Amino acid sequence: MKKAILPRALAAIALGSASLFAMTAAQAKEITIWCWDPNFNVAIMKEAGAIYAKTHPDVTFNVVDFAKADVEAKLQTGLVSGVTDSLPDIVLIEDYGAQKYLQSFPGSFEPMTGTVDYSKFAPYKVALATVEGETYSMPFDSGVTGLYYRKDYIEAAGFTPADMQNLTWDRYIEIGKTVLEKTGHHMLGLDPNDAGMIRIMMQSGGEWYFTEDGDLNISGNAALKAALETEAKILQSGIAKPAAGWSNWVGTFTSGDVASVITGVWITGTVKATLDQENKWGVAPIPTLDIPGAVAASNLGGSSWYVLSSSDVKSEAVDFLNEIYGKDVDFYQKILTGQGAVGSLMEARNGPAYAVADPFFGGEKIWQNFADWLAMVPSLNYGIFTNEVDAAVASQLPPLGKGGSVDDALAAIEAQARSAIQ
Amino acid sequence: MRTRHSMDKASPRLNRYFDVNGWLFVAPAVLLIAVFMVYPILYSLWMSFQTGRGMKMHFDLTANILRLFSDPMLGLALYNTMIFFIVQVPVMLILALLLATMLDDKRVRFRGLIRTAIFLPCVSSLVAYSVLFKSMFVQDGLVNTTLLDLGLISSPIPWMTDPFWSRVLIIIAITWRWTGYNMIFYLAALQNIDKSIHEAARIDGVPAYGRFFFLTVPMLKPVILFTTVTSTIGTLQLFDEVRNIMTSDAGGAAGPSNSALTLSVYIYNLTFKFMPNFGYAATVSYVIVIAVALLSLLQFYALRERT
Repeated sequence: MKKAILPRALAAIALGSASLFAMTAAQAKEITIWCWDPNFNVAIMKEAGAIYAKTHPDVTFNVVDFAKADVEAKLQTGLVSGVTDSLPDIVLIEDYGAQKYLQSFPGSFEPMTGTVDYSKFAPYKVALATVEGETYSMPFDSGVTGLYYRKDYIEAAGFTPADMQNLTWDRYIEIGKTVLEKTGHHMLGLDPNDAGMIRIMMQSGGEWYFTEDGDLNISGNAALKAALETEAKILQSGIAKPAAGWSNWVGTFTSGDVASVITGVWITGTVKATLDQENKWGVAPIPTLDIPGAVAASNLGGSSWYVLSSSDVKSEAVDFLNEIYGKDVDFYQKILTGQGAVGSLMEARNGPAYAVADPFFGGEKIWQNFADWLAMVPSLNYGIFTNEVDAAVASQLPPLGKGGSVDDALAAIEAQARSAIQ
Repeated sequence: MRTRHSMDKASPRLNRYFDVNGWLFVAPAVLLIAVFMVYPILYSLWMSFQTGRGMKMHFDLTANILRLFSDPMLGLALYNTMIFFIVQVPVMLILALLLATMLDDKRVRFRGLIRTAIFLPCVSSLVAYSVLFKSMFVQDGLVNTTLLDLGLISSPIPWMTDPFWSRVLIIIAITWRWTGYNMIFYLAALQNIDKSIHEAARIDGVPAYGRFFFLTVPMLKPVILFTTVTSTIGTLQLFDEVRNIMTSDAGGAAGPSNSALTLSVYIYNLTFKFMPNFGYAATVSYVIVIAVALLSLLQFYALRERT
């Protein structure tokens, strides 16, 4: 008797799964999405999916959470091999890599120029996803930068929040030295293998590794030179606590160790996660480079959504992105309050959430500030080889910290970049 | 029965090649090897003559090979790999040989326990131990705090932010991981050496170091050759440790000033981090093939049997 149970159970499972297949075949409207930060864009995409599903009950969402490097590796492998079954319907791509994907995998991404009204978005986000007149992205978050600082530490060193406004980098380093001397806290955490700080400074000076036409722009790049000089000063002054890798760097400020953080607005959620530090943080504009035309605003990272042409639900995917990310102002208020995401849909900034004072930051209207700074960010062409040049720049940072010459570093970056971008 | 019959007739040597049953037995294995080994190797050779970006590839016989010779990153990767190879392989193998000889001595107590303890690292996952090493060796990690508290150093050692120390760290990590593995080979070989040879030498008055250098080492020669070749291959393919200990995700370098950039990490960057160029990446992977072949030939030559 007992022996008969197994085949019967198997038959039941087979029947059950057969009916399950039949059901999915009837609906067949699942949109698969790849993205990378569970507290940020994954949570935001789930929110967006829930809103869309209310009016479109036939569409379901499968938001897959990978590390960013894994999303990129899997996407590149899938596109090169031509095995499109394994690819998602929508993928998140960081803005620095957008042109690389669009230009080296032509036809793999779905243009949305006909559907989405791009005039409603921040122009720099649209430009970086446009190739030969067609725009391929749903612009998502901005990486507008700010200077987050610990009010308690700088006050202990004899400064006020007013001293943190309109800084030059030299003044920032000076304050950092005093803070280190009086409180024992380093001014910032810095990973000498990472060129992120250089990119922030360079973009605030209005230049990039490439010219508007995509030619390499290293030896004559005044903003890059000033950025390297400033980074060398910071490294030599001893105000930076060396960090190894991303999580170690995040740890420098979540542990309460350092007195300030200069990075993109997307870090706000992480800063606010340290509940014991409530009321201790303030946000100011980033320090200004000492070159003509430099502004106190820049950008770091930021990403956009792309629909793959191989998707069998691409029209639904485009419609979903356009309905939520392209039009829904309330949605943008929700993700600003919930995840600290500053979107690039311009009209969203007139919404109520942007005017709210944040109690964590002692009642400062930080979102309004970030929105104002966003309008000042110089618009640039990131080109298709940012990662290559970035690696070249990063490898020159340790010698600069030891007193190496900036001109030698520029020459070395130029040489390494030239060979890497062929 | 038919095969038995034909076997009687045809010459036995040629018959081997026409035995259908034999072919049927090896067919699944041959098929799998062909699909998953031979085809990818041939295809990567074909790919190494393609150049371009992403999907826009075209055939060019010389472009990638010429690029190899003008690529400073490849030069750096080769240099780093060679440093790891020249410093780490001898240190590890000598350490393994000494440990094996000591643990072969019956007078040592808790031999089983020590042997297991030294062998255990190589059972651990490459990624898991790399992540552990990373957390132990950061600026205010376990290692620096311990050394500071013991008063051995006055300021923290910049394990991950200084080019020299980052190489030291990688060498410490792989030595920790692989010494026990090589020791096991030596131990097994030592147990095959006839004890009476050592006893005879001892009675003849040969001192302990003499017995080690003139008896043990020569008799271990085949195993030393084997461990040297496998360690060479392992070091030239060094990837997991560097990728997990040294590389930050955000477009950074492999270690400070790329001081830990190895050939495998460079291939990974060319494929997944930089502009996807599978063609050039395949060409660089053949650099490893050639390097391994040359070094192994050299080692076979150096340790050949002299008659």
